[in-house]
Amino acid sequence: MTDLLLSQVKLSGESQFGTDEYVVNMGPQHPATHGVLRLIVKLDGETVKETIPVLGYLHRSIEKISENRTYPQCITYTDRVDYVSAMSVNLAFALATERLMGIEAPARAQWLRMVFVELQRLASHLLWMGAFAGDIGALTPFLYGLRERERILDLFEMTCGQRLTYNYIRIGGVMIDVLPEFVPKCRAFLDYFEPKIAEYEGLLTYNPIFLERTKGVGVISPEVGINAGICGPSLRGSGVSCDVRKQQPYLFYDQVKFNECLETAGDCWSRYKVRMNEMRESISIIRQSLDRLEPGPIEAKMPPVLKAPTNSEIYSRIESSRGEMGVYLVGDGTAKPWKVKYRCASFSNLYLLDELTRGWKVADIMAVLGSLDMIVPEVDR
Amino acid sequence: MGIVRYFRNILAGLWNLLVGLSVTTKYFFKGTTTQQYPEERLPLPVRSRSMIKLIYDDEKDQFNCVACLMCMKACPNSCIKLEGVRQADGKRRMTTFKLDFSTCIFCGYCVEACGFDALTFVSEEYENSVYKRGSLLQDEQAMKWVRPHSPAAEAAPIENTAPATAGAQS
Amino acid sequence: MLTGENIVQLVSGLLHWAYAQAGISSLAGVIDPIISAVVMFGFIAVFVMFLVWMERKVSAHMQSRIGPNRVGPLGLLQTVADAIKLTIKEDVKPVNRDKVPYFIAPIVAFVATFMGMVVIPFDKGVVVQDLNVGILYIIAITGFTVIAILTAGWSSNNKYALLGGFRSAAQIISYEVSLVLSVVPIIMITGTLSLSGIVEYQKQAGYWFILPQIVAFLIFITSATAEANRAPFDIPEAESELIGGFHTEYSGVKFAMFFLGEYIAVVVSSAVAVTLFLGGWLPLPYLDFLHIPGFVWFLAKLLLVIYLIMAFRWTFPRLRVDQLMDFGWKVLIPISIINILATAVVWFCLYGKGAQ
Repeated sequence: MTDLLLSQVKLSGESQFGTDEYVVNMGPQHPATHGVLRLIVKLDGETVKETIPVLGYLHRSIEKISENRTYPQCITYTDRVDYVSAMSVNLAFALATERLMGIEAPARAQWLRMVFVELQRLASHLLWMGAFAGDIGALTPFLYGLRERERILDLFEMTCGQRLTYNYIRIGGVMIDVLPEFVPKCRAFLDYFEPKIAEYEGLLTYNPIFLERTKGVGVISPEVGINAGICGPSLRGSGVSCDVRKQQPYLFYDQVKFNECLETAGDCWSRYKVRMNEMRESISIIRQSLDRLEPGPIEAKMPPVLKAPTNSEIYSRIESSRGEMGVYLVGDGTAKPWKVKYRCASFSNLYLLDELTRGWKVADIMAVLGSLDMIVPEVDR
Repeated sequence: MGIVRYFRNILAGLWNLLVGLSVTTKYFFKGTTTQQYPEERLPLPVRSRSMIKLIYDDEKDQFNCVACLMCMKACPNSCIKLEGVRQADGKRRMTTFKLDFSTCIFCGYCVEACGFDALTFVSEEYENSVYKRGSLLQDEQAMKWVRPHSPAAEAAPIENTAPATAGAQS
Repeated sequence: MLTGENIVQLVSGLLHWAYAQAGISSLAGVIDPIISAVVMFGFIAVFVMFLVWMERKVSAHMQSRIGPNRVGPLGLLQTVADAIKLTIKEDVKPVNRDKVPYFIAPIVAFVATFMGMVVIPFDKGVVVQDLNVGILYIIAITGFTVIAILTAGWSSNNKYALLGGFRSAAQIISYEVSLVLSVVPIIMITGTLSLSGIVEYQKQAGYWFILPQIVAFLIFITSATAEANRAPFDIPEAESELIGGFHTEYSGVKFAMFFLGEYIAVVVSSAVAVTLFLGGWLPLPYLDFLHIPGFVWFLAKLLLVIYLIMAFRWTFPRLRVDQLMDFGWKVLIPISIINILATAVVWFCLYGKGAQ
């Protein structure tokens, strides 16, 4: 990386008027890189010749730290892996640990987990929608998205006491049962929220400028997408069925009715449309889960100190808001995991950025980067 | 036909621009959802994990803490330092309790681990900013909190008695 | 009756009396324009500050927010506070800048846009200088902005700024064409280039040009938005792509000049739109019995058009640079040419050879 930068400093030897590549350092502080992603962009005028993402500005070695923490303590770190969708990561780790240790969470806890994970998906997609629209240049959807997201966070805070790092979904169940007024409030929110999606779509979906910016931009063909390990809504925009909720149902996803949202074009607009439709499906899943919520215990019977069997390992995956969230655990018979590895959707989705933007304009980097729904803490961990 | 499509595209574009404008215009005339923070304070839900306090029993004139060290073991960041002695009556009592809020992540494990009703979250205090980093290292005197004697609070300790946030109402 | 013309006559009467007292009556021809320019400058400075406040309030309410509300009643003095803050701020300058152009660019940007205000008639007779080539003058003088922005982008020795400057050059030159072409039908109909003359024509004709020339109005507003570098055509500054674009490296007073220049450009283009298409100072039809002074009508219409431009900014995404060129050259210019031809044919059929 450094020699690449140095080569830009050097003037070309043969001629004073030799043309240099125009290298622009986007980030780590840049309005469109959603945090501290750094992109080294080689330009030819407005045209992008190469985009090199530089990672590591938000690396906190969560995986290594987790090796020195007990299993329940690891959950608090999963909150920080993807803080826009913390519930999903909580769930991913909790499910992996439960499968490793053979724990089965009671039914009520499972339904509650579904409610909260889908609410989290709504919140995450809302934030994504706002950020994506902001990257394209429309600033208002961001505020609208956050306005609705606040109400979801209010529901979370009411239940678990936090708005961002919940630590709510625990091994063997959930942290605490919901309050009696949670269910009516949640339903009221869903009724309030459902018509809002049409409003966002009115602002964006068929807006001619938005269509110009997103249609046909950053096309991922199904083959390339599968080969590059793209996952989640980004791959579903290319028409590949890859929803873990459908393919390997966890929790009670096999007992609720919902559609896997697919688009065929594979461009930024399709990925946008997939996420907008997913919000509608999430609302339906939450409604069904609330219907099936019955009184009962919320935590499985567990030993006071959780220990994984010796030489046990597991790879468990869920569909987080951004795509396939995998957790690989190796247990060594102690109360602490021997190895923790998170397989994060943002990291694998970022892989195609260079290929998708090469030959396009500078502004398309933002459209493509936004449409991949990349979250820097999840990339770096 | 190309010309017809050209003009139809332009008209459809204009129409969709108007649809977008109608949304923003609608909200222009609608009320706002913002709260003015220093003047308007939202009552936080009782479960809110905002500030950890050590419960002080003013009838017995002592902290509830018996220095069982469960909170220390539960803490994922080791931000609790705790010492206790066995008193003359054979019961353990906490002597020093230090919580470093600069490393605390408010996961709530210490409060959950406490079996002696000695630690609690106090939702009213959520303005934790300080001018010096050192002031985040709080000892038992800074964390001392006396549970208010109100019959309602004792009758329904877990019920969410606080009104919902204004954001969820409007 | 209170009209703008009366006020101007009163003030100039007072001034001329004062000249006579001071014994400088012979210099009246020199001092009068200076005074009116200064008055206009003061008005514009206050009006632009109001506009900045208005934009923040409009955007806030569109986004369910409150907007500035701390300084002064309804936050009206927020812009004053901002201006003071920008003035006393350290002027951070890049070391490798090109000193002279870097210094001149904001001044050009500010002055060029401000000079456009000189020919805008606020009421019958209330105009700094009623040029008989008013439209031509405005189009020529606002074209200076591109020089300022390109200079700013190039001289600040910043990659983002340079990109912004180049984008701006391409954009403003392209949209100048459609801007001029959208005005041509009006000039054809009225046969005058004077802004006051166009308003007088609308008064005699009994209709505003927005009715027969709605297409020209839409093209004009679009091109004017692009000329003023406002979203959805704000690619020279394009926050999410180029950070600040051409003014990335500017701070303090110099930044304020660009900022004010942008708003003055909005005022100028909206004022021209009001004059050409919305009847300038003419009252709404059937409301002339109210005897509201003409400049009030003018300001009301001006604020309406400015609101429209603000609503565009806070609703629409931003076009990409090549799409912007496409839109300008492949949509706006053909349509405005068709509009010119259609106007010519229709007016010829209706009124024969001369439209007069």
